[in-house]
Amino acid sequence: MSRDTPADREESTIQPDGGTEPAHEEINYLDREVNLLRPSTPFMRDHLKIIWSSFVLWALVVFGPVTLTALAPEMMTVQMPVLGFPLHYFLVSLGAPTGALILAIVYTRYRDGLDQKYGIDPDSVESTAPETGEATAADGGVEQ
Amino acid sequence: MTVPLQAEALDISFKLVPAIIVFLMMASFLVIGYVFKVADTEGMWVAGRGIGNIENGMAIGANWMSAASYLGLAGLVALSGFYGLAFIVGWTTGYFILLIFLAAQMRRFGKYTAPDFVGDRFNSPTARALAAFTTLLIAYVYSVGQARGMGLVGQYVFGLDIIPMIVVMMTITVGYLALSGMLGATKNMAVQYTILIVAFLAGVYVVGFSQGYSTILPQIEYGALMADLGREFSAPFVNQPFYIWIATAFSLIVGTCGLPHVLVRFYTVRSERVARWSCVWGLFFILLLYWASPAMAAFGVDLFQATTGASAYAAEGGMSGAEGDVIVVLAAQFANLPTWFVGLVAAGAMAAAIATTAGLFITASSAVAHDIYTELINPEATQRQQVLIGRGTIIGMGALVTVTAFNPPALIGELVAYAFSLAGVVLFPMFFLGLWWENTNRQGALAGMVLGLLIWITSIINSVLPNYIGALGAAAGESGALVPIYAQYVPPIGAALIGTPVVFVVTIAVSLATPEPPLETKKMVRQCHSPEPMGQQETAADVVGDSTSGGTPADD
Repeated sequence: MSRDTPADREESTIQPDGGTEPAHEEINYLDREVNLLRPSTPFMRDHLKIIWSSFVLWALVVFGPVTLTALAPEMMTVQMPVLGFPLHYFLVSLGAPTGALILAIVYTRYRDGLDQKYGIDPDSVESTAPETGEATAADGGVEQ
Repeated sequence: MTVPLQAEALDISFKLVPAIIVFLMMASFLVIGYVFKVADTEGMWVAGRGIGNIENGMAIGANWMSAASYLGLAGLVALSGFYGLAFIVGWTTGYFILLIFLAAQMRRFGKYTAPDFVGDRFNSPTARALAAFTTLLIAYVYSVGQARGMGLVGQYVFGLDIIPMIVVMMTITVGYLALSGMLGATKNMAVQYTILIVAFLAGVYVVGFSQGYSTILPQIEYGALMADLGREFSAPFVNQPFYIWIATAFSLIVGTCGLPHVLVRFYTVRSERVARWSCVWGLFFILLLYWASPAMAAFGVDLFQATTGASAYAAEGGMSGAEGDVIVVLAAQFANLPTWFVGLVAAGAMAAAIATTAGLFITASSAVAHDIYTELINPEATQRQQVLIGRGTIIGMGALVTVTAFNPPALIGELVAYAFSLAGVVLFPMFFLGLWWENTNRQGALAGMVLGLLIWITSIINSVLPNYIGALGAAAGESGALVPIYAQYVPPIGAALIGTPVVFVVTIAVSLATPEPPLETKKMVRQCHSPEPMGQQETAADVVGDSTSGGTPADD
């Protein structure tokens, strides 16, 4: 795959080791290793940034209140004003599931943003299969 | 420690109008399914083009709405207090993990049953058969919970004794299954979801309003009841310690991501973007039930205490396990609502249980007929033989589920949770590593799955079977478990907290010690993570096959 791309393409980033990462359009994703702990493309790095940061928030929302309740039961079981719930009960029964829903929305919006950054339109592909993966890549580039 | 058989407080007698409502509900699923019927798989793809975020989200909600969510959840919150919330957290927040790690990638991989995914990803008929066996076990354990639920609630409507009631309800289920097969009805999941959620929320709102508990937001207003319900309802770690709480929630979360019937919902969506958004909508539709369920439990406990005059948690005259499991219906009955209305709530529970069980039986029969029999035992099997084997599986499993449900080892929600911990230990690591680490290979997957199955099965033998098998019971003695320390740290309900990380480590270690998987397989994994859009009917294997000049991926 050697297609010339504008030199000022913002996706091209300088690697820490000094090599230049090719732009998104030049990457053949079928040649890039998939390893959760060692992302091999700028897209994967960007995606994992969103995944890991939302995952950490999720873990705090889901397991934070119950763990705090085990550590500091006095503080966590105080009755909430107006609502009447003990704090720990409210945070676990309503807070954790609702928090997960909000984080799901946030993640999905950021993930859509990532498509935009890389100039990808998921609806650009008809339900008939394109002939090759390469054609798909070219489509994505043209849309931009 | 088995659970009392029937709910004494429930009004057990034949009631005509509720019986008609149950009949109408099941008939509506069939008729609507028939009207929307599509001829073949090709047709389904065309229909699939129209399936959007919200509709697919509702379908996810319908798949999720079994007796465990409808009845079991409120039962656990009512009986086990704060521990019951581990089930609420586990059965909802797992969707987030599914969303960020698996949904879109699975959509791109293009295989939606556990045996198909595992077989194709790890190039192994043996791995496929192991996944099929796991699917079969999941369906069996899951169905026992459903059978218990439909039997208990069926008593309110039809008034039989519990054992004939379970037999009748399971017969109805198999009849429903046969009829929907004959009509070729594809389930219209959005309609099914709407009927079930309306029946459930109507119960919560009407009980709350008629008893003066709540007005427009029972999901929050029940907080005012908390002080009256007794500390057993809300005080933390009274019924189960912190470790079991976390182990349960963790198992349900990873189980959600490993459960075959959730993944299948990404089959008909247009693109991976729709897969993601429908996952979000699915979580929202599920939450409509899960937000309201503890409110119904609180109303039920309060009404139970007002009606019987005893504390729900008293040793004498307190709430039994069976009463807890039908608390959703009991609450409506105690509130003196008209019979037809209580019947509507009960009908929703039965419809949820019947539809779920029918779906599980289909999954099980295809796992046996296709993935085990045809792949491993008789590759020459004719269509007719496969159909016969499939039907035999349904009859055999129906009988086994029925008999097990006569004397179940646990509450509805707990039984279903056993199935989740199995999915979390065996299938989740295969999906996760299979999609996120291209070097996971056949040997690693086989070692991991065998070990996962062993961990779960020994946990069941250790803590559940001593209740049934005299010799094991004698060996277990007072503690109820053969090896108490194993039961303490790897209980069947929370086996994944230790089991899943162990399976991860072993799968990775064996994969590192053996040759890497073929390049074709690696490219399939890479295609799952590529940002480039794919056609709706494409699988990762198609794309890889095309790009390497026409070669098809090796099946073994």
